Amino acid sequence: MDDLFAPSDVSWTRVSPKLATLRRLNASIVAGLAAIVALLALGLTLGWLYGVLAVVVIALALAWAWILIGRNQRSWRYAEREDELLVSHGIMFRELVVVPYGRMQFVDVTAGPLERAYGMATVELHTATPATDAKIPGLHPDEAGRLRDRLSALGQAQAWGL
Amino acid sequence: MTQQTAEVVGQRLHPLTPFVKGWGYFVVAAVALVNNEGLRQNLTFAGIGLAAVLVGGIALGALSWWFTKWQLTGDAVRVDSGFLFRRTRIIRFDRIQAIDVAQPFVARLFGMAELRMDVAGGGKSDGRLSYFRYDEAQELRTTLLVRAKGQQAAEQQESEQQAEAPPLLTVPTTRLLGATLLSSTVVGSAGALIWLIVATMVLNFHIGLFAGLPLLLGVVQPIWKQVVGNHGFTLSDTSHGLRTKRGLFDVQRQTIPPGRVQGLLITEPVIWRLIGWARVELDIAGVAGQKDDGDNDHEGAQLLPVGERTEVAYVLSRVLPGFDLAGIQMHVAPERAKWLRPIGWRYLTYGVDDQVMVTTRGWVSRRTSIVLHHKTQSVRMEQGPLQRRLGLANVHVDTPLGPTDAIALHRDQVEAAALVQAQADRAREARRTVSAPFAVQTQPNPPRPDGSSSSAASPAEDSSDR
Repeated sequence: MDDLFAPSDVSWTRVSPKLATLRRLNASIVAGLAAIVALLALGLTLGWLYGVLAVVVIALALAWAWILIGRNQRSWRYAEREDELLVSHGIMFRELVVVPYGRMQFVDVTAGPLERAYGMATVELHTATPATDAKIPGLHPDEAGRLRDRLSALGQAQAWGL
Repeated sequence: MTQQTAEVVGQRLHPLTPFVKGWGYFVVAAVALVNNEGLRQNLTFAGIGLAAVLVGGIALGALSWWFTKWQLTGDAVRVDSGFLFRRTRIIRFDRIQAIDVAQPFVARLFGMAELRMDVAGGGKSDGRLSYFRYDEAQELRTTLLVRAKGQQAAEQQESEQQAEAPPLLTVPTTRLLGATLLSSTVVGSAGALIWLIVATMVLNFHIGLFAGLPLLLGVVQPIWKQVVGNHGFTLSDTSHGLRTKRGLFDVQRQTIPPGRVQGLLITEPVIWRLIGWARVELDIAGVAGQKDDGDNDHEGAQLLPVGERTEVAYVLSRVLPGFDLAGIQMHVAPERAKWLRPIGWRYLTYGVDDQVMVTTRGWVSRRTSIVLHHKTQSVRMEQGPLQRRLGLANVHVDTPLGPTDAIALHRDQVEAAALVQAQADRAREARRTVSAPFAVQTQPNPPRPDGSSSSAASPAEDSSDR
């Protein structure tokens, strides 16, 4: 199964496991805030039982998300072929993107405050169409910089007109 | 930018510009007034309001006109504009993909015209200069063409302008009207509208009348758009590619340089199929994706608003020489796709030859997308949870924004994986073998190695920017 979305003729690089930690932290913050709001809103209007029930539901959702995030992190991988960048990700909704370097319009390296705190960055390759979804999260900043430089160099060397 | 305010040189646009542009404000104000109960009751007040808005709009327009200056520098068009926030836009000649002179309705009444420069990757208003006198606009267009593409190319285009070649093809207005009346949207809306009227009268179901308005719009709007927008559609041949001309009030001309065609879409609504009609649209670099342009909303270029089968085959052969749609072996999706598409699965097909990939889908309105291998931006394979159960996957072949969307839906997943590889290989091969005969027009925006990482967000350790 797996090899369909990750052809074995190239060597795949996985992303940092810290991506899962980061996303779990994010999910926990969101869930925590939602739990507080739900507890107060429902507790003050309908009764505390409903509030506690809502918190339990949110906690279960968080637990589920916890597992999914782990599986999703393990699914992210990318590979550099001679002429193309390959990105594969997703468990429930799987996707494999093949982008020729020559089609690249520009590369974005982004890192939010949390990502920086965890020492990670996201590389995104843009082509002339927004449909191209070549985004690699959870990269070490050095790797992100290397990838960006390599992609820019290759993109320039192989650049093709529209 | 601001420090140059004093030394801005250049020419102003036509002094009537604010009047022509002010009409927009007037219409908006009038519409707002009509929709406002309170104002409608007091007509004097409304009249004063309208006048005020008109004067205000023109005053604002006059200010903007006063502060807008354009000039030709050594290698670019420079436009300075804005009175509060000064803005300088520089459009390099070698980035201009095409230049058109357009005449919106009001502008045409005053004999004025707008210059539209297509800039690859640019937004809609990026390359517009309005308004000039019509002959001035033509003159400027020629000058720009000479600078952008060389004397020879410009002369060629000029001579074509003067002696417009006999059209290869025209679409009669009666057919336009008939085709629009029989298109799926109009038939659907009209059907729903009739049902609604009957229901209202028979069942006394008055709520329904409100739903009638959008439905009525659904009937009238496409007719208006098709019949007025595509009135007198002609396709003619020039040395720069095919040229289309259409429109009743706002005559639009568009050149389709062969090297810039990214993909084609053939649409056949269900009733058209019985008659043998089809519409052909194109993705063209620098034309599609002008979202806020209203009219051009993801439309790309019309190659044929409605045509018979022979005409469709003819225009296809003009755009893609040596291409034979009927000759391509199409593969139907596996039967288990019927769990996801109970009826439509029979129409999910794809086919490949050495030049293009073709996909079809839709049983009410059939869409046939044709993408060129050497224009492929990226190839994607996708699979959702239901598809995984069935062992199916989608393959997308992405082209720049436009009507074309080549998706091979619900293929067997092994076949899909092979197709992704094959498409990537074909795209690579095609890019290598197809030399770029339209060098000027296909100049890419070079990737920006320095500006590529957003500086505010780049990782702390990354120092290669400096």
